[in-house]
Amino acid sequence: MAVKVPILKQGKVLIASIQEDLSDSDILDLQHRILEDVIRCRAEAVIIDVSAIGILDSFGTKTLSEIAYSVRLRGAKLVIVGIQPDVALSMVLLGLTLPDIPTALDLDRGLALINGG
Amino acid sequence: MQHPPDVLVQAIRYDTDVISARQLGRKRAEELGFSRPDQALVATAISELARNIVVYADQGEIELATIHQPDRVGIKITAKDRGPGIADLESALADGFSTGNSLGLGLPGTRRIVDEFDITSSPGLGVIVTVVKWSRR
Amino acid sequence: MSELISSSIAEGSGNLDLEKIFRWFDLTEEDRACTVELGELTDDVGEHIIEAFYAHLLNDETAARHFRDDAHIAQVKRGQMRYFRELVSADLNDAYVADRRRIGSIHERTGVTPTLYIGSYAYYLNRLAHVVLERMDEDPHKAFHLVMSLFKIAHFDMSLALETYVDAREEAIQARERELSELPTPVLQLRPGLLLIPVVGTLDSHRARALTVQLLEGIQEHRASAVVLDITGVAAVDSAVANHLIQTMAAARLMGALSVLTGLSAEVAQSLVKVGVTGEALNTAGDLQRGIEMAEQLLKD
Repeated sequence: MAVKVPILKQGKVLIASIQEDLSDSDILDLQHRILEDVIRCRAEAVIIDVSAIGILDSFGTKTLSEIAYSVRLRGAKLVIVGIQPDVALSMVLLGLTLPDIPTALDLDRGLALINGG
Repeated sequence: MQHPPDVLVQAIRYDTDVISARQLGRKRAEELGFSRPDQALVATAISELARNIVVYADQGEIELATIHQPDRVGIKITAKDRGPGIADLESALADGFSTGNSLGLGLPGTRRIVDEFDITSSPGLGVIVTVVKWSRR
Repeated sequence: MSELISSSIAEGSGNLDLEKIFRWFDLTEEDRACTVELGELTDDVGEHIIEAFYAHLLNDETAARHFRDDAHIAQVKRGQMRYFRELVSADLNDAYVADRRRIGSIHERTGVTPTLYIGSYAYYLNRLAHVVLERMDEDPHKAFHLVMSLFKIAHFDMSLALETYVDAREEAIQARERELSELPTPVLQLRPGLLLIPVVGTLDSHRARALTVQLLEGIQEHRASAVVLDITGVAAVDSAVANHLIQTMAAARLMGALSVLTGLSAEVAQSLVKVGVTGEALNTAGDLQRGIEMAEQLLKD
């Protein structure tokens, strides 16, 4: 299967920028690759940039939190950046608030969050 | 003004069909003048309903119908499958319940983001979920 | 009782419904026939009673304020005379009901309170009752019956005006609420990264949704990292509104912005607790000043 989401390595930080609407299998594929890369690169942090996607439904959100928890179990932290206003609203109405996962407005802020503390 | 065709159907079998269905819904919502947040809600509702078909019933379809009324316009989303049906509707609609690979927020969450919600299920005959999202003119 | 009347009238004030109301007021054909006899008396003493009535009315400061000048008073007196004639002689039909209901909405608009209205009516009826008893002192029994019939009609008449008064009042309140709820909520940038949203008025679902969207778009537009949501000016916060506020802040958080809620009254705090919110999950501050300080502190951390 073609790789839909490139994962870039910047020092000890992995950046996964989702470029387009993902199917469930694409998201599961992303989950798999992020965990492999965190281990392989000894990454300290992961940023998932979702600014290009117009939907995060229950499956997408649930998988993102699973990724965050697994990354945390590896001793690294994960920040989700770029959730768009419409997406944030639908997530909250669905009851998906990701209460214990750090978020930031965009990639720059996400990097600042990781480097700042 | 010419309205676009009032009923669209997307067959649902693979998870890529879920993407097609929700993109179709978002486009239709946009054409009908839904606000951006409401477009996202229409697409999200379709996504949840279409996934249920893929996960629980193997195949089915999503039908999008337009409802024109003097003071509002609506999109009626009908999700039909020929799967095993839902034995316990009440539980399926309660937050936190899930028999498959989801958060258990699919149906109750969908109900919260639409204006009208109806579900019928007969064991062995599949499930029909009908939801409507309105937009004030 | 009011339900009986309003439902009957709302159904179209057809004969059947009026019959129902007449039964409630124990108002019979006999009563009507009785008061028609007052017709002659009306023309005879009506003017006299009305003069006395207006002297009484204008003596009261609050009541007098409703009259612009002598011409206005003269005009109202003529109307009063007509009103009085109709009270004793007109058919109590749909047209009559419609006319009496119109009076209630005029009262609501011009600020004639139920106290002023009922008080005036009572004064007027007492005067009339005395005149009737004086003029018919050869047959006090009949006079008494006549006065009782008159009172029944007068009460029926008052109920019509008051029902409309209440309806009109309710409508006016709803219209004001609608106006308030349609006020757009400003998103103010206090300084780069910090937004203030003063929420004023009634927060129904529709407006709460619009507020959330405005806030989220404001966060994106101003690249905000913190938001102060001030609800000092929110009329009522029930659990539905509390839920909307929580959702708004949760959505802001998903976009990476912290929120502080300020201006919570004791009742609001209770509503929030009812929907399951505790202070730990939510940044709250007593007043706006402290809210802004808190947001700035959060930004530094």
